Amino acid sequence: MTTNIEEARKQILAMVREFVDRDVRPAAAQHDEDDTYPTALVDQMAEMGLFGITIPEEYGGLGLDHSTYAMVFEELSRGWLSITGPIGTHSILAHALAHHGTEDQKRRWLPGMATGEHRAGLALSEPGGGSDVASLQTTAVKDGEEYVVNGNKLFITNGREGNIFFLLAKTDTTIEPQHRGISGFIAEKGPGFTAGKDLNKLGYRGVDTTELIFNDYRVGTDNLIGGEEGKGFYQAMDALETGRVNIAARAVGVAQAAFDDALAYSLQREAFGELISERQGIQFMLAEMATKIQAARLLTYDAASKKDSGDRFDLEAGMAKLYASEICAEVTLDAMRVHGGVGYIKDLPLERYYRDAPLMIIGEGTNEMQKLIIARNLLKRARAKG
Amino acid sequence: MKQVPDPDTPPSAFHVDESANRVVPPPGTPPVVNGFDLNATEAALLLKDAAGGTDVEITIIAVGSEFVMDVVKRPLSMGADELVLVDDPALENLDAFATARVLAKTIEAQGPFDVVLCGRQASDWDNGHVPLVLSELLGFPCISFARNIKVTDSGVRVERSLTDGYQVVDSPLPAVITVTNELGEPRYPTLRGIMAATRKTPTTLSLNDIGVTDGDVAASLELTRLFVPESERRVEIIGGDDEVDAGRQLALRLREENLI
Ligand SMILES: Cc1cc2nc3c(=O)[nH]c(=O)nc-3n(C[C@H](O)[C@H](O)[C@H](O)COP(=O)(O)OP(=O)(O)OC[C@H]3O[C@@H](n4cnc5c(N)ncnc54)[C@H](O)[C@@H]3O)c2cc1C
Repeated sequence: MTTNIEEARKQILAMVREFVDRDVRPAAAQHDEDDTYPTALVDQMAEMGLFGITIPEEYGGLGLDHSTYAMVFEELSRGWLSITGPIGTHSILAHALAHHGTEDQKRRWLPGMATGEHRAGLALSEPGGGSDVASLQTTAVKDGEEYVVNGNKLFITNGREGNIFFLLAKTDTTIEPQHRGISGFIAEKGPGFTAGKDLNKLGYRGVDTTELIFNDYRVGTDNLIGGEEGKGFYQAMDALETGRVNIAARAVGVAQAAFDDALAYSLQREAFGELISERQGIQFMLAEMATKIQAARLLTYDAASKKDSGDRFDLEAGMAKLYASEICAEVTLDAMRVHGGVGYIKDLPLERYYRDAPLMIIGEGTNEMQKLIIARNLLKRARAKG
Repeated sequence: MKQVPDPDTPPSAFHVDESANRVVPPPGTPPVVNGFDLNATEAALLLKDAAGGTDVEITIIAVGSEFVMDVVKRPLSMGADELVLVDDPALENLDAFATARVLAKTIEAQGPFDVVLCGRQASDWDNGHVPLVLSELLGFPCISFARNIKVTDSGVRVERSLTDGYQVVDSPLPAVITVTNELGEPRYPTLRGIMAATRKTPTTLSLNDIGVTDGDVAASLELTRLFVPESERRVEIIGGDDEVDAGRQLALRLREENLI
């Protein structure tokens, strides 16, 4: 009998839901307040196998589809956005390796990544800019069987806790267009490669986001992803497409958590002698929140299923990321409105949802960049039709 | 293992059909594996872990009807080896005696075994009768409320939870042991376990296959009436001259009602 994916998915989601309700939600507020890394939760996720969801089975992962992965992300984020951090950019390197790595690289790295022994991050953004990837400044200069890397990366999630990174650096600084000079490496922490201090963030707290410093860091040529220079930009953009679906799924999860709380509160809070849920003003908010969340969810699942069927999905991923992150910010604010004053107080998670929401607007390509991608695709399709 | 309505469902969502003497769970809420049965599964897995994972085979047996596959496969996802479902519409509303008879026949049909682990009770009716009757039918000792089980040279050593501590008992094997939640949280399934479980087909047996007769499933208990008791909530505000006096008045009032 072959794997029944529907049955597996249901069981996986039931397990994640239980983990979120039993372990994540009760722990989130304290970690958020103290900005402490949720080591026990992350270890538990590794034990469950969440680090290897999309890694192919032959390399020790589960080989599950991106739809299941998106649903897992949505469910985790319903508990606490930050808990997705350790597996988010981890999966981006996994994707790049699985799709563009050499056979040797896959065998060497993917099994350890699937168990969570290797914890990965994405080292792309720099102090000089994140959106304009092609202009990145970090360089990798070939020296025999090694490259010597110099430069700084900024805003790198898992910077302290991670041990391997998808490093984007220029192996050619003169070539035009610039992005053809970018190569992708698997960079292991070691001499010349250190993490700076943790950044103090508005939201997405508890998970480490740091600067990475490369100072004459030596990386072997066998760590050049795909064994070919100049392919890093494409490898990263390809992997980031799936990253955008995950960002959309996270936004849906956070928005859902805020909505669930708002709905429950409206059914218990009385004002002017009546439950506030009886008020049309509140009902309209609830109706709009739920409709937006469902629309965002469907956009997300649609993008994920396009990816699963092997179609191009950059347009869909961009739309899902753009819409889901924008409505997440709206819904988390509206959920706070429904709560009134108590929604603004740290005793409830409403203000955390609200602080967490903007990450999805900025991370993995700002929403302005998403609009550019969406428009570029629309225009390309229109032109192709003539 | 028993599939039960989710005990986290609010009681008000259940409907009691008084004419049929039945509780109807709210539509659309998936059932779950009885919580104590997951503790029993955990106990089995701990025994397997202690034995180094080899030479121990865990078979999960469930008797009932309308099994939901992704629910009943949960013990497999946690690491159990095999799942046997006795699935028959006639098994929907068995009493403890009939259930134990069906279980005993199913267990005997599986061949030799060392230990039968059961949850201490099921969250639907909270009777806790089945394991006791089952041990009687199988002719083996029954040790209830286990919070720790160790295999010894001569059998098992079990810590039994008591209200004020625990009791250590030794028993020969085979034995029937009921497991309590004090044993510890059941482990989460792993994704790998879930994938493996979805690839496994449970063994499904009919009553015929195991030689269960109509007499075996006949009820020994008669449920005469099932209803939701009327309850009334009254609030009384107890005052006093000051806080101390209010406390005194409250104590007097509680004593009057025989509550303290
Ligand atoms: C918490 C957090 C975690 C992060 N984790 C990672 C990580 O793990 N790895 C990683 O590599 N990066 C990470 N980032 C970086 C993130 O991807 C960048 O911040 C983001 O891509 C934007 O880059 P920037 O900050 O340099 O802004 P800029 O690129 O300087 O943009 C500034 C503003 O200009 C706009 N803009 C820029 N170009 C255009 C244009 N062509 N047209 C219209 N508007 C434009 C932007 O939309 C934005 O509004 C993280 C960021 C945060 C906040």
